[in-house]
Amino acid sequence: MSSEPPRAGSSDAGPVSLDAAALGRLRELDPDGRHGVLPRIFAAFETSLMRMLVQLDAERELGSASVVSTVAHTLKSSSASVGALALSRACADVERRLRAGEPGEPGDLDADVERLMNESEAALLAVRAMLRP
Amino acid sequence: MNPVQSFADASHSAVPEVLLVDDDEINLLLTAIGLRERGFKLVEASSGEQALELLRDWTPDIIVLDALMPGLDGFDTCRRLRRMHGFENVPVLMLTGLDDDASITRAYEAGATDFFVKATQWSLLTGRLHYLLRASRTRIELERSKSKLARAQDLARMGSFDWWRIERGVPGGLRVSPEALRVFGFGPQQEEVSLRMLLRMVPQGERRGFLRLLHEAMRHASVLATDVPIVLFDGRQRIIHVEAEPEFNEHGHGAGYTGIVQDVTDRRVAEDRIRQLANFDSLTGLPNRRQLIWRAERALELARRMQHQCALLLIDLDRFKVINDTLGHGAGDELLVEVGRRLRACVRHSDQVMEGAIESGGARSHRALEAVGRLGGDEFVALLPEVAADEDAERVAQRILDAMREPIFVSGQECFVTASVGVAIFPRDGNTVVDLLRNSDVAMYSVKAQGKNASALYSPQLAGHGRAKLELETALHKAIERDELVLHYQPKIDVRAARMVGAEALMRWQRDGVLVPPGDFIPLAEETGLIVPLSEWALREAARQAHLWQEAFGFTDSIAVNLPSRLFERSDLVEHIHQCVTAFDVPHRVIQLEITEDNLMKELQNVIPALHRLNEIGVEISIDDFGTGYSSLAYLTTLPISELKIDRSFVRDLGITPQSSAVVTAIIALARSLGLRVIAEGVETLRQMEVLHRLGCTVMQGFLFSRGVPPDELQRWLEQTVLPRKAPWIGAAGEHEGLETAVAAAGARPFR
Repeated sequence: MSSEPPRAGSSDAGPVSLDAAALGRLRELDPDGRHGVLPRIFAAFETSLMRMLVQLDAERELGSASVVSTVAHTLKSSSASVGALALSRACADVERRLRAGEPGEPGDLDADVERLMNESEAALLAVRAMLRP
Repeated sequence: MNPVQSFADASHSAVPEVLLVDDDEINLLLTAIGLRERGFKLVEASSGEQALELLRDWTPDIIVLDALMPGLDGFDTCRRLRRMHGFENVPVLMLTGLDDDASITRAYEAGATDFFVKATQWSLLTGRLHYLLRASRTRIELERSKSKLARAQDLARMGSFDWWRIERGVPGGLRVSPEALRVFGFGPQQEEVSLRMLLRMVPQGERRGFLRLLHEAMRHASVLATDVPIVLFDGRQRIIHVEAEPEFNEHGHGAGYTGIVQDVTDRRVAEDRIRQLANFDSLTGLPNRRQLIWRAERALELARRMQHQCALLLIDLDRFKVINDTLGHGAGDELLVEVGRRLRACVRHSDQVMEGAIESGGARSHRALEAVGRLGGDEFVALLPEVAADEDAERVAQRILDAMREPIFVSGQECFVTASVGVAIFPRDGNTVVDLLRNSDVAMYSVKAQGKNASALYSPQLAGHGRAKLELETALHKAIERDELVLHYQPKIDVRAARMVGAEALMRWQRDGVLVPPGDFIPLAEETGLIVPLSEWALREAARQAHLWQEAFGFTDSIAVNLPSRLFERSDLVEHIHQCVTAFDVPHRVIQLEITEDNLMKELQNVIPALHRLNEIGVEISIDDFGTGYSSLAYLTTLPISELKIDRSFVRDLGITPQSSAVVTAIIALARSLGLRVIAEGVETLRQMEVLHRLGCTVMQGFLFSRGVPPDELQRWLEQTVLPRKAPWIGAAGEHEGLETAVAAAGARPFR
């Protein structure tokens, strides 16, 4: 575990880092790291994120809004939990738009998927940096 | 401490078990860690299907469900588990998104207990879980206590109801708990019960009164508490206790009642039984001593207030003990029942007296106190709450005596019972029940003393007799040690040979220079048990006298001593007689024992062994008053007796009524065929002597020959009258030709 607390990250500028407050709450669960809670969470998040990326990638071919919505819902809270706030925000936006059934331009779904994939990859990098500094 | 409280605390201290369902493994992991940290025991499931599978054989304390999950989502999972047995009330917390209003609504619709917005603030979630658990526990406790209450009510045959009246268009109604339905004999399926329906169960006779009570209570909005009889639809009769409190609306007007109904039939039956046992004699069903005294006290109060007289009649059966002893207690009881039945027909007997009715029932209400009761044993009391004069009470007494006249059949046998009645009048003969009872007792005893089968009014003179009796008893105790007792002797005469063949010893009491006749102290001695030392003294004295006479004129006959049966029951009787005769150096046969026929037959089984032993040592037994009791002839043939004594009543009527000579002839024939001697007592005239002689009885005793006299006088009589053959009866017997002369000489008058 890095002794240097990571800075709050953004998808637009520089390498993404995880939200310090969220990390702080996670550390509270295992203050002395005895139970290896943080590595377990990051590993689980990495696995889950990889699976979601595969699903989103496949989705680009099929264009199914419900799968995208489910992926966005799941990622929304888990990414918030690990401090990947940009990804969480993106998930929330996409989920809200899809659930409300807003009439988007053709290609909006593709744009959503693109945005989710980009944010996911950024979050994946950040988590990997935490796991393997 | 409140037990329910402590129970809740106990369950609170246990680690609560949580089923956590979330498809997002990150959330699942984080929430699980967060909750474990805060003292929960977690089981995780990653889908609704997996959760339902786990719940098949496990019931957690609380279920936390993620709302949105692929496959079976949180809503469907919740809906399904609510349909599972045992999960109707398990708290379910639905996790929703922050901005997801639709999910919140759906969560409640699916049966979730509450919702919680997904967050990583575990302490908030923990707080919510604790709140839900506590609410759930309270609910469980409530359910438990509700079912306990229902069970308790069921056991107590009790149920509750609410009744409310029509108000501002809202219809009135009656809500009856299932337990209350059962009280009224309805099954749990009974749809609706109306007040009208329940009222119809009250028997017509009681309904009006009950309705009046209901209206009265409602009018005053007062508490209702009453017992009401009902008839269930299956015809069973029950008594229902109704207790209800008024409910008030916001204006303070009575709006209805809430209360309980309870089946108190068993209790009432038991209470009635207790009252019956406490106040009535179980044998005759008549009021017992306690009830009688209660009634008498009420009667006295009212008599005092209304200034009239009442009467208390004490009724005691004559010779009841004889019936009890000879026919057995069962027969005695039968007899008492019949006597009770007859007695109650002699007055205006009321079985039940309502306490309130006496106080408020008007001028004639005291009449309801009139009754016959049983004090105990063969003692009854008739209470007449109002008599105008002594004659009223005497009339009832006479009615009672008349009622006894008809024979009573007990044990297949006809019994004749008479009674002695003592009457005491309030206020003249006593101011309290105790005084009246005592004085009626005194009056009753005076009847007994004068030959029974009659009634008497109390008078202060009678009470004086009572005191005299007490003094007599005290004096009799000291009579032996003061040497005040003497034996007089009446000779037994063989008229054919004109000689004395024995003597009967008769006890006399020389008290302060006055000779007390035996009739005045022997019954008292028997009553008090003094008869035992008295009899023992008599045996010793008789033996002493036999010795003296032997010395004086060669007396070798026997002296007859009367003994009560209770002396025959004493194991030391034989030994005592042995000591007496040995002490005075006379043979055993100088003592002869007389036992009355009544006494002998009454105690036959107890007396027989003694008779045999006495017979063995040479003491002969004579049966006194023969013909007046009821001897079993079968026993007579086997008993070791030597002599029958014809009762004086038959002798008295000889030559007057043909029946007497028939009885005497029969007794003589019986004695002859059994090889027994026969002797007639109470012979007072030459005519009686002559008839007896002609019928075949030659041994006699009576005033014709000599009354009972002191021993010296008897010796003188022998020397101066019998030996010189100077008495008118000598020579009369056996010489029919000379009889007329003898009768003329004696003037046919008995010797007095």
